[in-house]
Amino acid sequence: MLRLIGRRLLLMIPTLILVSILVFALAEVLPGDVGRSILGPYATQEQVEILNKELGADKPLYERYVSWAVGFVTGDWGVSPLLNIPVRPTVMKALGNSLLLAGFALVIIVPVSIVLGVFAGLRKDSFLDRGITVSSLSMTVIPEFVSGVILLYIFAVWLKWLPVTAIPPDGSPFVDRFYYLILPAIPLMFLELGYIARMARVGTVQVLAMPYIRTAVLKGLPRHRVVFGHVLRNAMVPTVTVIGSQVGWLIGGLVVIETLFVYPGIGKVMVDAAQTHDVVMLEASVLVVAVIYMVANLIADIVVALLNPRIRMGG
Amino acid sequence: MTDDQYRRDYAHHLIERVRTGQMTRRQLLVRASVFGFSLSAAGSMLAACGGDSTSTTPSASASGAPAPVMGGTLSVVIPPSLTDLDPVTIYDQGGIVLISQFCEYLIDLDNTNGLKPKLAVSWSANTDASVWTFKLRQGVKFTDGSPFEAADVVASIDRLVDPKSGSAALAALAGILSPGGTKAVDPATVEFTLDKPFADFPFLVCASSYNTVMLPRTYKGDWVNNPVGTGPWMLKEYKAKQKCTAVKNPTYWGKDASGNQLPYLDQVNWVLVQDESAANLQLQSGAIDLQQQTVFQGSQALFADPNLRVDIYPGSGIREVAFNVTKDPWKKKEVRQAVAYCLDRPAINKALYDGRSNLGFDTFWEPTVFPGNPTPPPRAQDYDMAKKLLADAGYADGLEFTLTFSKYLENPQYAQLIQAQCKPAGITVKLDQLSYEAYYAGDNDVTPWLNAAMTITEWGSRPTPGVYAQAMLLPTSTWSASHWDNKDFNTTFDQYMSTPDEAARTPLATKLSQIQQDDTPILLAFYITQLRTQKKNVFGVQGPGNFYCDLSMAFKTV
Repeated sequence: MLRLIGRRLLLMIPTLILVSILVFALAEVLPGDVGRSILGPYATQEQVEILNKELGADKPLYERYVSWAVGFVTGDWGVSPLLNIPVRPTVMKALGNSLLLAGFALVIIVPVSIVLGVFAGLRKDSFLDRGITVSSLSMTVIPEFVSGVILLYIFAVWLKWLPVTAIPPDGSPFVDRFYYLILPAIPLMFLELGYIARMARVGTVQVLAMPYIRTAVLKGLPRHRVVFGHVLRNAMVPTVTVIGSQVGWLIGGLVVIETLFVYPGIGKVMVDAAQTHDVVMLEASVLVVAVIYMVANLIADIVVALLNPRIRMGG
Repeated sequence: MTDDQYRRDYAHHLIERVRTGQMTRRQLLVRASVFGFSLSAAGSMLAACGGDSTSTTPSASASGAPAPVMGGTLSVVIPPSLTDLDPVTIYDQGGIVLISQFCEYLIDLDNTNGLKPKLAVSWSANTDASVWTFKLRQGVKFTDGSPFEAADVVASIDRLVDPKSGSAALAALAGILSPGGTKAVDPATVEFTLDKPFADFPFLVCASSYNTVMLPRTYKGDWVNNPVGTGPWMLKEYKAKQKCTAVKNPTYWGKDASGNQLPYLDQVNWVLVQDESAANLQLQSGAIDLQQQTVFQGSQALFADPNLRVDIYPGSGIREVAFNVTKDPWKKKEVRQAVAYCLDRPAINKALYDGRSNLGFDTFWEPTVFPGNPTPPPRAQDYDMAKKLLADAGYADGLEFTLTFSKYLENPQYAQLIQAQCKPAGITVKLDQLSYEAYYAGDNDVTPWLNAAMTITEWGSRPTPGVYAQAMLLPTSTWSASHWDNKDFNTTFDQYMSTPDEAARTPLATKLSQIQQDDTPILLAFYITQLRTQKKNVFGVQGPGNFYCDLSMAFKTV
């Protein structure tokens, strides 16, 4: 197990280097340049060229990359030329916000969807199974922007039960943040619920058809021991893998929710940076999200290995 | 909302604006006539106004509005600035709105886009409008304690016309004012010697020329960490793309007509929201008091909200549809005219703005927007004329062209309307929609917005026809997407700009308007009125409804 973890951690280094090179190269082909983004469409070309020269944006790509990479690995993540703010605290603060929202959503999504999926699997083809499958799928296909606007209108504008934004006023106790995160978390639940519940259902149905389950039932084990001791443990393997792959998206891909609920998360930081050629901000935020993706997948693999001894033993 | 309801609301809005001194009685008559009210209806509206309010800068208590309430906090929603808050380089709404709260202009704009003294108390020109002398307000101090004097004006303007400063104002001032053209005569007097006569010069250093705020001569940049200005507010906190908080400047020079110290409010909180839907929901939820500028498309629900008031201002923003006259088929003016005759302008106005904007007829000298200018012949949709013009130009069998625009504001809907309205004349319009970044990307000689064959470009309000023409209709214009070069127009424009006397300018304006409309280098189907939305207990917000807004006289009743 330790070798598995060590090998995966080592693999992250070349992956991150490749990602950073790709981001730098892709930022180069985006329309426009940083000087134009800072000065706007009404600045003269002469002004833009002067500024690009000042910022070093006219230097060759590899020169700029090396300069940035050396700074990044030595802890100097630079200053955003667009916003004139230091990159590292900005990215880490946004990451913290995204982790909080994603964590809050996952705490609700994971148990609810697993319980629903397992119930549906245990009662395959019943009214309950069909009800859970159809309703969770229906919620999944609603785009988060649509469900977000509808929820905002009902609960924030009409009923006024919940706040319209996702950040409490300054000075509020930390626990208030969760109250403000309820509304943004619900569209995420809609999106993820159907996906995870379906995986849990399929896993449950497949495990229930296994000979060892039949044996357990025939030898007279109580139903709850069959379910908790044998079914759940084995049915969770594909579900955990899916959850691991969704964590990265929940942290770095929530641009729509962050925009609608005016939430300063890392997804929005990335998109804004890409649109304005803010390469230092873009690189830092992409790399941080890449690390989160890889760590989440590694944790999922570890959990799967713990659930399934054959994987653990390299079988 | 029905037409009758809308007309009633608009009449009420006009009456309120006269009562609160935001509009003169004469301006009410002009606006009422523009919106088709009968003379007797306009007379009734005047009677409802009561008194004889002609002031453009009254205290809020001067008429029927509630007496100002001192103190309190106002929450305002605006889009975030895409860039750092630097008075010299800001160019977008978010940056302009914020900077203009902390820093001030030599000349202010009143609610009808008229000029109003601010840091300059008076200004005058020599006979050909090539030298301008400004007298400055005395007793004004920057928030760092230094006095505001002529040397600060010289430093501020010289900084803007220096290419190294990166100021967006440079292009507007190019060819008119050069480095060294601004001189301090004495601490209270500044003299501008222009590169050429320019009768609209005060408009280039007023609140519609957003970067021309006055900064101390010692200003070195990094404004957010060293905020300074002469305005009614002082920066308390700024978090890029999230929020901005300001507290009142206790030493602000401004007082209202009753002698009350300005500003009335203690604090203003700006919430920076990019998405229009999210901003509207915040307004409707009651979390926000004011939306400084409301975009009509997508905001229709605000008009029906009983807790909100949507004010309408006579803006002059445009969507410039430019024909690049250096490229076929636009080299022939008949083809350009043919497209102009395809447009059903009232239908476009209805579709894009629910009929709230003013119609345009392909000239900047439009009296409904810039009062006092000659009335151009209206251009109604006329397919027979369009087909004849196409045939005259050699396109009897029809025409196909590409229209390039950005996916921004209502540009896509406008492009689709042009496409649909050109079709019956045998004109096929292919739409080339680009992202905002792609549309403005690249050097001036390759960027789509200045080089594509036909484009739609969004322009915020400009205060005079001359400022618009200077920016885009001359061969020397930095932002000429049409690349139009009409010698007669150029010569007449120079005469027009060297003629400060309004009576003498009128025949020149008539000629310029005729040339522009006849040659049709650009289509101007409408001038966009500005919308501002606020809770019904918010009063005293000043400004012409565009990016610029003065909150020094704003207050909230309980």
